[in-house]
Amino acid sequence: MMRAIAQPLDGGMSSTAESEQGRLDYRPFLAALLVFAAYYFGAKIGFALTFQPHPVSVLWPPNSILLAALLLTPRRIWWVVLLAAFPAHLLAELQSHVPSTMVFCWFISNSCEALIGAGCVRYLIECPVRFDRLRNVGIFCFFAAFLGPFLSSFLDATFVVINHWGQGGYWEIWRLRFTSNVLAALTLAPLIVTWTAEGIAWLGKIRRQRFLEASLLLLGLLSVDTIVFYKLAPTAETTLLYLPLPFLIWAAVRFGSRGASAAVCTLTFLAIWSASHGYGPFFAKSAEENALSIQMFLIVMSVPLMLLAALIEERAKTETALRGREERISLAAESADLAFWTINFERNESWMSDNGRTIFGFAPDEPLSRELFLSRVHPEDRIAMDEAIERARAASQTFEVEYRLLRPDGEIRWLISRGRYLRDDRGEVSELIVVAIDVTAQFKANLQLRLQREEMAHMSRVSSMGELTASLAHELNQPLSAIVSNAAAGRRFLAQGSHDLKVFEELLADVAADARRAGDIIHGIRDFVRKREGTRRLVNLNEIIREVLRLLHSDLLGRATSVETQLTPNLPMVDADPVNVQQVLLNLLMNSLEAMQLKPAAKRRILISTRREADSSVVTSVRDYGGGLPEEDMDKVFTHFYSTKPNGMGMGLTIVRSIIEAHGGKLWAENVDEGARFFFTLPVTRKSETREVA
Amino acid sequence: MSKVNKLVCVVDDDQSVRRSLGRLLKSAGYAAEPFSSAEDYLAREIFEGSICLILDVHMPGLKGPGLQEALEKRGACEQIVFLTGHGNVPTATQAMKKGAVDFLTKPFDDEELILAVKRALERAEEQLRRRRERREARGRIGKLTPREFEVLRFVVMGLLNKQIAAELRTAEKTIKVHRGRVMQKLGVTSVPDLVRISQCAGVAPARHSA
Repeated sequence: MMRAIAQPLDGGMSSTAESEQGRLDYRPFLAALLVFAAYYFGAKIGFALTFQPHPVSVLWPPNSILLAALLLTPRRIWWVVLLAAFPAHLLAELQSHVPSTMVFCWFISNSCEALIGAGCVRYLIECPVRFDRLRNVGIFCFFAAFLGPFLSSFLDATFVVINHWGQGGYWEIWRLRFTSNVLAALTLAPLIVTWTAEGIAWLGKIRRQRFLEASLLLLGLLSVDTIVFYKLAPTAETTLLYLPLPFLIWAAVRFGSRGASAAVCTLTFLAIWSASHGYGPFFAKSAEENALSIQMFLIVMSVPLMLLAALIEERAKTETALRGREERISLAAESADLAFWTINFERNESWMSDNGRTIFGFAPDEPLSRELFLSRVHPEDRIAMDEAIERARAASQTFEVEYRLLRPDGEIRWLISRGRYLRDDRGEVSELIVVAIDVTAQFKANLQLRLQREEMAHMSRVSSMGELTASLAHELNQPLSAIVSNAAAGRRFLAQGSHDLKVFEELLADVAADARRAGDIIHGIRDFVRKREGTRRLVNLNEIIREVLRLLHSDLLGRATSVETQLTPNLPMVDADPVNVQQVLLNLLMNSLEAMQLKPAAKRRILISTRREADSSVVTSVRDYGGGLPEEDMDKVFTHFYSTKPNGMGMGLTIVRSIIEAHGGKLWAENVDEGARFFFTLPVTRKSETREVA
Repeated sequence: MSKVNKLVCVVDDDQSVRRSLGRLLKSAGYAAEPFSSAEDYLAREIFEGSICLILDVHMPGLKGPGLQEALEKRGACEQIVFLTGHGNVPTATQAMKKGAVDFLTKPFDDEELILAVKRALERAEEQLRRRRERREARGRIGKLTPREFEVLRFVVMGLLNKQIAAELRTAEKTIKVHRGRVMQKLGVTSVPDLVRISQCAGVAPARHSA
């Protein structure tokens, strides 16, 4: 037994060395030497495993040794292999007194078998030949283990009949040789190829645990085989023949093609050896029948086992490759601060990379689901996010969404996610892969920029009030101080008894001019409101509110303020200047935002509602949670230069009121729980009345 | 000294403010010179008398505080009263720290402004006088011989002739002669006057060697 394994191992090793393109000259010779030795001893074993008294070889190793050698060596030195096998063949056969013509003919048929098998396999499988893929094993079984023996057996039987050597008829000889060579090819060739293809370096890397397991397996297999093939009477239950099967499967599952081939070989040698020595269940009938049944048994055992081993190796390899890819993706994701996750719709399962869990604030072992993931999305973005996922699912497109996360610790992060759907074999959407990048830092920087830019654009337009009032005060102060100075100068001149009329004339003219100038400035405010009167039209307040919220979107984001709307549907149209109404809303909203800027982010809420009043007007209210207005100053809020803000000029609400009143509406405020609520009404007018409302 | 030794300048970009201020100042008896920008004022030849500057904070080009800084670098002795459209505490604090006389918000009270101008001119005059005295004292002290200067420094310290003689390792008589020369050259008759003129010129008292 040990010899049987050791021999091919040595032979194959040098062959492997050969396959490295024969860099050193001695390698082909070493290969030749080993092929010679292996072939010779293989033949010896073959002779030993014949069923006495009938000289029928149950297993003929030399052919499969030759096959394995050809599978392992480069095609250009095949002639060396064949040349080395020839003297071994002569030596072995002549010892058993076979006529030299027959010996020569047999070598031809044996070489043909090996060449057909190896040629087909090497043509179909890219070098090097391994038994770790289902396809490879299938090709090997069909071409090397079946087709080679099948075709060469015709040649063999013909030679035997021509030389008048065997006692049997043509078909009998053909069958005997065919089955024996199929068995040899199935058991020995894979053993040699799997154990030698990668040299012996791997033996040193085996962990002790693996080694122990292999020893245990071998021990079990040997014991069971011994019991089944040695101790059992020839008449015993043939079902016991399946006893080694668990061990064979164990070998295939745990040790792959290498383990399976070794286990099959062990089984083969033990079964044939015991049968050839008159033991076991295969010693009941004639020698030929015994040989056939043992061959069939072993062939049937080995083919599925090899396929199973290949399948398992293939899967393990795929898994390793997958894991490697996953690791690479994880590494890439981590270094790019990306989050990866997948959602399986059928099982409602989610997986997320470690980095993603950090970004989303999930614990490393927290089970995930789509609902849980959506719960982390900011409530205001949740519906949009869900819709984007569903839309992409229906259209099976890649989607990209920008959204906010609200983490359990209250932190808000901005993300951009890109996702794609995977379809299963039936073409149905089964899984969603999403990659998300945390753009909080960029977003904040962008927001800052956008805020600054917009402050110059739309902010300043409406808050023209804010800006306007500041410059207004400055502008007004110039003529006012000039008037005051001139008046004081005049008084002093009079007190000094000066009666220079020219001086007083000039002085009074200056006073009048400055007063006019001040008046012009004041008119500027009114014009600001009035000059847009021509642009009135029927407007839908709900639409204006939505538009203003769009305008303010980035400010609201930047100030972490959420806005809720309760807009009454089918609101009647009001006759108004849409830009002025926008200005009113923007001003009220800006006031609310400023009132809440010192409140915690969770409390920063604005509620906007519209409703229709019985007196045919539309009431719009803006409610905040900024602590409300000082009770005692409630009526002063709308007067000039009143402000609760440290930097406020106190002009904004005055202008708001002048706009509302110019539209025939009313503006008032009240304190509500935790904040203030501003109301304004705009009358619903019939179209005919629209012109002269102001 | 030039004939007009007092001047009030108004620097404001607003013409009506300049005109009204000129009138108000005239009613209070001051001649006011108007300038429409800080640059214009800097271009004016340096006035040798006491100057009060009424300066607007917000102007196109060089702003009020900027002009204050430029004048400080020039080593001039203008005293500044700031005017501003609307009060800004940090600007005001900064201006006052740098020696502004007052910081008034428009529209201002006329009395307040005239009072500020008066104070500014007084301060300017005072500063001018101190400068003149120092120049004079330094001129006189410059006429002393090195030995006489040394004796002066000890006298200012309050040492007696005998002590000075010991310090300078000479006879008390010699010191007496030197002292007399010093008093004569500096045109003073008493030790307190001597001390005053020395202080005015910034003469450091001698250090005790013992």
